[in-house]
Amino acid sequence: MNTLLVGLAALIIGDSHMVSRDHLITTLHDDLVAQGAAVNTYGMCGAVAADWIHPATVSCGKAERHGKEGPEIDRTPNMPSYHIEALLAKHKPNLVIVEMGDTMAAYGQRDLPQAWIYQQVHALTGRIAAQNIPCVWVGPPWGTEGTSYHKTFARVKQMSEFLATVVAPCRFIDSTQYSTAGEWPTIDGQHLTAAGYKTWGVDITSSLDQMAPQLEQRP
Amino acid sequence: MSRVMTRRHRRLAGLALLAAALHGGVTDAAGDQLYPSGPPNGVAYIRFVNLAPQEVTIVSPSAKIAIPADDEHRVGQFDAVTPGVALTGSAKLGEASKPIALKLVPNEFVTVVATAEGANGLSLTVFRDVPTDFNALKSSLAMFNVDKGCTEAQLVAGDNHMSVIHGVAPGAVGRRMVNPVKAQFGVACGEPAQATPAKLGQLDAGDRYSVFLAASASGRKVVAQRDEQAPFRP
Repeated sequence: MNTLLVGLAALIIGDSHMVSRDHLITTLHDDLVAQGAAVNTYGMCGAVAADWIHPATVSCGKAERHGKEGPEIDRTPNMPSYHIEALLAKHKPNLVIVEMGDTMAAYGQRDLPQAWIYQQVHALTGRIAAQNIPCVWVGPPWGTEGTSYHKTFARVKQMSEFLATVVAPCRFIDSTQYSTAGEWPTIDGQHLTAAGYKTWGVDITSSLDQMAPQLEQRP
Repeated sequence: MSRVMTRRHRRLAGLALLAAALHGGVTDAAGDQLYPSGPPNGVAYIRFVNLAPQEVTIVSPSAKIAIPADDEHRVGQFDAVTPGVALTGSAKLGEASKPIALKLVPNEFVTVVATAEGANGLSLTVFRDVPTDFNALKSSLAMFNVDKGCTEAQLVAGDNHMSVIHGVAPGAVGRRMVNPVKAQFGVACGEPAQATPAKLGQLDAGDRYSVFLAASASGRKVVAQRDEQAPFRP
């Protein structure tokens, strides 16, 4: 156990990588709890950053998990979205972890919609920063090419490099650094196997361990 | 149509000028994904700015937008449109009218500025910009020169009138990333010490700002403000 994470009150929000039982809602969440952190995790399938700010409907399921309880996953279509400020008020975290990227990377399109991504990422990080809560943004993993998600290694690299410049004041975790392109198998091009999510969760936790001394604590 | 739209965005959506261009009802180019990844046909942005002394309206066969002539409301927000789709309509100032016909490219920001000049008392200047300078640690300053009498406009800062952006020709836009500071900015055409104040206040990290220079009956007019971009959810 890394004592730097003991007592951490972590709020994790993310996209579909958080919305199935063997995804990060289990692996990353469990890893942080094992490190002594109090963890609340929320996921919205298909959600972009703006969906955590403006009321939206969630098209393909959402999930939440609290402490050592199991994940609650609801696949009912068109559910209302979670709102970041309500979650911050409810859980009073001293660290927010945002996992997002695949839903905004415009896979299959020629151009990365930088302005569209930037506006909502900046708005979301601004809501968190306005409450003086440190945050970490986790970018997407490589995935695999040649599927209906149209994910390509080149676009994942481009998206990760873009996120690295626009998520401040959040710190950025570049998930592509954890593996070589295509090394982690997927079930559909975008979502990893259970083993992949386990490895990804361990790697994120390790990065958080290293970052912990630099993360400003809320006054 | 977007699930996340502002009141102004909804009003814009009613315009035939933009209705064909606003996202929605379009084919998902990415195919049979469980959910889309970004706007299926890309995205671009357009805004209208009124630097005339009276209200300007942007008109289409089905609706119109009024752009007030007070400094608080002269600069509209950027609204999302679909790249490659023709935007048609007209701008009106009193009895004067000018046609609008634009087609944007992906990630383009278009600013249409109306001024009370020209043969029939209304002129439109279109500024086209594809910014790539997004950075959450810096502030982005842009200066738009709409003053045909100022061949080389410059944005200066501080008591010593340090040049921040220079050499901006009429009809052109100059842009620069700066540290998020609070400084006295001004727009000069010629002698920097004679700059007209551009009141931007404290610059915030990650935000973008526009400064407009135009001619007016009482001398040079400068309008400065933070850029606003309507949230858009495809």
